[in-house]
Amino acid sequence: MSRRYDSRTTIFSPEGRLYQVEYAMEAIGNAGSAIGILSKDGVVLIGEKKVTSKLLQTSTSTEKMYKIDDHVACAVAGIMSDANILINTARVQAQRYTYAYQEPMPVEQLVQSLCDTKQGYTQFGGLRPFGVSFLFAGWDKNYGFQLYMSDPSGNYSGWKAAAIGANNQAAQSMLKQDYKDEITREEAVQLALKVLSKTMDSTSLTSEKLELAEVFLTPSGNVKYQVCSPDSVSKLLLKFGVTQPAAETS
Amino acid sequence: MQIFEYNGSALVAMVGKNCFAIASDRRLGVQLQTIATDFQRISKIHDRLFFGLSGLATDAQTLYQRLVFRHKLYQLREERDMKPETFANLVSAILYEKRFGPYFCQPVIAGLGDEDKPFICTMDSIGAKELAKDFVVAGTASESLYGACESMFKEDMEPEELFETVSQALLSSVDRDCLSGWGGHVYVVTPTEVKERILKGRMD
Repeated sequence: MSRRYDSRTTIFSPEGRLYQVEYAMEAIGNAGSAIGILSKDGVVLIGEKKVTSKLLQTSTSTEKMYKIDDHVACAVAGIMSDANILINTARVQAQRYTYAYQEPMPVEQLVQSLCDTKQGYTQFGGLRPFGVSFLFAGWDKNYGFQLYMSDPSGNYSGWKAAAIGANNQAAQSMLKQDYKDEITREEAVQLALKVLSKTMDSTSLTSEKLELAEVFLTPSGNVKYQVCSPDSVSKLLLKFGVTQPAAETS
Repeated sequence: MQIFEYNGSALVAMVGKNCFAIASDRRLGVQLQTIATDFQRISKIHDRLFFGLSGLATDAQTLYQRLVFRHKLYQLREERDMKPETFANLVSAILYEKRFGPYFCQPVIAGLGDEDKPFICTMDSIGAKELAKDFVVAGTASESLYGACESMFKEDMEPEELFETVSQALLSSVDRDCLSGWGGHVYVVTPTEVKERILKGRMD
């Protein structure tokens, strides 16, 4: 019966729902998961790479993590082509702010600005919403390190730890149990790896299936966004005892 | 009142052996009055690319900010720094966009390209590029700079000798120009390091 309210984004259903937005969130629920954790001295983002094939041309580009500006990065879950458009929009918005005010754009303002764009696609134009959820990690001088999660409806909020993509509810409840307020960046990495390994569908966890990035302050006081190399990810997996070698599965 | 001579400036870039030097004066004036003696005319785009702007200071600042905007987006999308040749083309295109209401600046671009080959170029205020193998000059002291560089320049100078040559050329030229001076600011860039030095000349 509710099918007749599906096809246009600009209509509410009788129950007060926007079906297109909900269907967009369904699409994200099938995509590779991503987890973000806020710590005292940085923000950790970790993503599960869904597309792994020997034939894939490995390049230095990342699949899940993207730099928006020197002080903000994001992890994506959902339709990659939609994500590319939004990431480009976010990058241009950040540069426009810097051009006007000659200082980095505050993280929340950047998230809000991008979410305003996403909201537009749920209210007018007759175009479908973007099928992407984001986890934004950044630092600014007003509020320090921050983590934000946004979804296709254009809603966003700040989180201490959040998960998007496949099995995000399981990941979120695990994070709720294990997260402590005064967690350090290293502990956050460990927690993220642990939670991801438990909620990932695949049987073995290797550095090829993961992307790990951190936003932190260098000793000289500059914000740095660093993606861990596959080698360091492997080392971390071994160190925290999280890796499950493929041979063990039956 | 000449718009290009409103603030006063002197810029020079010179090629050495696997290195380059880019230098500017430090005076910012409003016609005959000196406003600042520590004005930065040369900015770093990335570790191997420096960009100096002579002419009207407000246009120089705005143009620089626009180029940072474009370069930042390029870096994010291409995941690498812009080559000097590419950057020069970008500056030229941006200047030509304002063909009938131009920025009153003359840029000097200096960088290390592929295989650490030094690249320098200048252009006029509407983007006509001038590539040179030896040196490029810009600013109110440009005529003196042309003469000084032409006589002092030698090919394949090492960084230390290049620094001396650029400094002498700059200081002697700005001394003959009332609108530029108050010391010098020299960057000598090699593939491994960037040496920034302040010169003290006739402080007028």
